[in-house]
Amino acid sequence: MARESVQIRASCIEAIEFMELSRKFRVTGVPKTIVNQSTEILGALPEDEFVRSVLGLPDADSSPPPS
Amino acid sequence: MALLSETDRQIVREHLAGVQQQVTLLLFTQTIGAPETAALARQVLEEVASLNELISVEEVNFVLERDRAAQYGVENIPAIVLLSNGEDTRMRFLGAPAGYEFSSLIEAVTLAGTTDSRLSPDSRSLIAANVTAPLDIQVFVTPT
Repeated sequence: MARESVQIRASCIEAIEFMELSRKFRVTGVPKTIVNQSTEILGALPEDEFVRSVLGLPDADSSPPPS
Repeated sequence: MALLSETDRQIVREHLAGVQQQVTLLLFTQTIGAPETAALARQVLEEVASLNELISVEEVNFVLERDRAAQYGVENIPAIVLLSNGEDTRMRFLGAPAGYEFSSLIEAVTLAGTTDSRLSPDSRSLIAANVTAPLDIQVFVTPT
């Protein structure tokens, strides 16, 4: 995604080596994705779901999640 | 001793065949007091660079070159910043890219080696339509 937009930066962080960061974001299982230090995405998602989750969009096939 | 077997080197070389632009692997580390993983990171990167003429490794001293570290937003080491023809691709690796992370590194190098993000047309549309402010994506992984 970083390659597609100059606004996006993507970092792959080794969780065990960077315990302080892992602790800060309560990483107990990997992969865990954190967007803008707040939104959390657990696990490995297919591309479409991942992109939508990162962008904060609802899934293509479902109605928006309850707020 | 090489980290990759000759068979593995050939496989990785084939994966990297699509690289068409200069890819620089900037490795931020320090000479004194560096974590053990920094040496491993250097070894992994040098081995990858040896498989393709367009890929090179540049070591940056995190302590002595604070400005450069700040320029790329590097606050922890070892950190790898991927440049494409000298430009920041905004892809980063924190920690030595061993195990499963190695394949992510090869993928990232391939991405840095071309201008193609390899995302689906849908993904590209979504990004074009919805990204209006900086997005910082941090993916936590482990080697196994």
